Amino acid sequence: MGAPVLIASDVCKRFGPVQALRNVDFRLEPGEVHALLGINGAGKSTFIKILSGALQKDSGTIRIGGEDVHFRAPEDAIRAGIATVQQHPELVPDMSGLDNIFLGRETASRSLMGRIDREALEARADALLARFAVPIDLSQEVGQMSAVEREAVAILQAIAVDGIRVLILDEPTSTLTDVEREDLFALMNQLRAQGIAIIYITHQLEEVFAIADSFSVFRGGACVARMSVDEARSSGVSLADLMLGEAVGDIFPKKADPDARGDVFLEVRDLSLTHGFENVSFTAHRGEILGLFGLVGSGCDELAKSIFGVDPPDQGEIRIHGKPVSLRKPREALDAGIFLVPGDRRTEGLALSRHSLFNVPMANLRRAAGGRWGLKSRQLRSDIQRLTDQVALHPPHLNTPASGFSGGNQQKIVLAKGLYSEADIYIFVEPTVGVDIGARAKIYGLMRDLSERAAVIVVSSDCDEVHGVADRTIALHKGRHVEPESGVFSRDDLLMAGIMGKGSL
Amino acid sequence: MRTWKDRMRHSTRGLGFVALVLIVAAIFGALEPRFLSYVSLNGIARHMAANGLAALGLTFVVIVRKFDLSIAGVAAFCAMSMGALIAAGWPLWSVILAGLALGAVIGGISGIAISRFGLPDIVTTIAVGSIGTGLAFIYTGGRSIFQNFFTSGITDLNDAKLMGLGVSMWLLVAIYALAWFVLSRTRTGLAFYATGENPMAAHFSGIATRRFVALAYVLCAMCTVLAVLLILAESGTAETNKGANLMMPAYAGVFLGAAIMGGTSVIASFGGILLITMLLDGFALMGLPYYYSDGVVSLILLIGVLAFSDGARGTLEALRFLFWPQKPTAKGSDA
Repeated sequence: MGAPVLIASDVCKRFGPVQALRNVDFRLEPGEVHALLGINGAGKSTFIKILSGALQKDSGTIRIGGEDVHFRAPEDAIRAGIATVQQHPELVPDMSGLDNIFLGRETASRSLMGRIDREALEARADALLARFAVPIDLSQEVGQMSAVEREAVAILQAIAVDGIRVLILDEPTSTLTDVEREDLFALMNQLRAQGIAIIYITHQLEEVFAIADSFSVFRGGACVARMSVDEARSSGVSLADLMLGEAVGDIFPKKADPDARGDVFLEVRDLSLTHGFENVSFTAHRGEILGLFGLVGSGCDELAKSIFGVDPPDQGEIRIHGKPVSLRKPREALDAGIFLVPGDRRTEGLALSRHSLFNVPMANLRRAAGGRWGLKSRQLRSDIQRLTDQVALHPPHLNTPASGFSGGNQQKIVLAKGLYSEADIYIFVEPTVGVDIGARAKIYGLMRDLSERAAVIVVSSDCDEVHGVADRTIALHKGRHVEPESGVFSRDDLLMAGIMGKGSL
Repeated sequence: MRTWKDRMRHSTRGLGFVALVLIVAAIFGALEPRFLSYVSLNGIARHMAANGLAALGLTFVVIVRKFDLSIAGVAAFCAMSMGALIAAGWPLWSVILAGLALGAVIGGISGIAISRFGLPDIVTTIAVGSIGTGLAFIYTGGRSIFQNFFTSGITDLNDAKLMGLGVSMWLLVAIYALAWFVLSRTRTGLAFYATGENPMAAHFSGIATRRFVALAYVLCAMCTVLAVLLILAESGTAETNKGANLMMPAYAGVFLGAAIMGGTSVIASFGGILLITMLLDGFALMGLPYYYSDGVVSLILLIGVLAFSDGARGTLEALRFLFWPQKPTAKGSDA
């Protein structure tokens, strides 16, 4: 493999009282895909930010190709050959993929009036595409592209600079379906073949074995393990144990006792929405978690929003506690006892710049005011304190803006908001996207607790999640629901039902 | 709703504000001793009442993250309408109610156009404001209205005093107290803030975001009517250019207050408008022509907002970094 392309040793970083990184040693070989693992708060984001020049280390050394480097700004890192693709890449949706790739460096001339030479640009794009044969139409507007195509555009944009030797991908698969993920892996394989080393952050442990050559595990601000995937495979070491530092059991809670299943809380009959889903029927009971598995584009997200009144259905019937209801907007759904934990918590769930005291009561202001107009501040505060304790918000600060929490803890704030709204039908859409394994187990456990008094529906494009947490599952394929032939889906049957639309293999 | 740490931070900002007001007062007082006289302070209070009411209305609009550029036009049209009604011999209370109703309708038109039909806020309110400016001429073709002004009792709003303080100031304090209660102590207030912070999340939380946006414009226009009413009371005539001087101080007060207090709120707007009014009156007293003083106050506004913004703090950090590339305490951080 030759000399390492990047060596970090003894890197430390402190934020006030928090030692974010302690004596991190890290090594990256040329042309390897190296996974970076760790729960939220383990220090991997801080480390990545130092490598990409967004933060400065307090001490330690970083060597690239044998030379000591010190980055003061992201441009320094790019000049040294390290490109980064953020978790949510900033692309201009109204511009084509090609324009996005060369945005800001259309010409060699630095003058503002420098003319854009379309032909030269296209030649450069062709050269780039000749190296990396991505099957996407770059003349499309980015806003029209699928998630994986946008990710590919962001990667091409990052590596379009000459001399890139290291590419950092921050959770690129969190919004991708299984099929799209394969496309991304194909692109990563091409990059690897070109000698570009990839540092790859993921929460999906099975991906490590699918794509990575080696991995490092961060825990408590230190890099606690580095091994090759082959070593890990032969020694049978558990990645989850390495990340948490202690043996973890199953992250999924126990299944419900089928006899404990209660009344039907929600019944959906022949529900349809144009360009969404068709004739979907199911029931959700108190005392159980119903799983709804579907890939992106299956209509799952639309179905959840439709039941919640965001985009009311065209046809069909919704019954709550046996009574037919017509829910035209979220207010009516909330009043009817439905709470939606939305798939995109950053735009649909939280006021990011505000703290928990602001966010948690938002869906039930009536309760916050004790049925009157003026807020019951003291009562509100103690209620929220109790709920954030219950969801184990970490750090347990009520006055920290939501944006200051990790993905998992932001989701816990949304959960506390759901608990505060005292619904009896909870719909979770993609509840653990971008959530680390520790918080995931907590969130699943909370769903189980919730199911004792409420009907819980989990909607997800992660088959293992749906199968793992739900007592009963159905799949949605191209807008139609698929039920198991034999009453219960096995994991593989569920996956096939979601991908192929068949009830069994 | 707050921890003691938060309270501390809040009161530190509040104390800073008070200090700033005292410093401005001391500077003007030193340059022009008349600034601290009873007459001058009384004038500041009266001007602050008018400016402050306009700023309060704007506060609602800024909280829902919109802009209202129709303030001057709404003020002009409502001023002439109220003037015409006074001249027609209507009793004062009915004139005020009619003015408020007219303002509510105009604000409602802007608000519904923006919230319900999704029109861009800046363009819509410029248009509505311009229409208002034009309509202000329909009564007299531009001549001022003064008939019945001295018998109607409107000038009492300017002259009458209660416990040594002008009634206009009492009006201001009462309406600010009411707005403070609504915005920071009721669920309506939380809904206003939620609408501005993240309309999508607010909608998913069952908050009628469109209604709150529209309501903000209605309240803004109604506050503008009250503000221009005080201006009519002070001058004793209704003219088409009344209210032209309300917009800049209102924006300056809201944004300077928000910059200093770390967020838009009723208290921030109150402090902001106090500071702005002191500057405007101080410069006027020192003989600075009115055509310069707006510019000077706007400049101060820009500097103030910049000085308290996060972006400016980042730039200062970067400048520091330019001169002292590494912290002297960090060892071996540079190659």
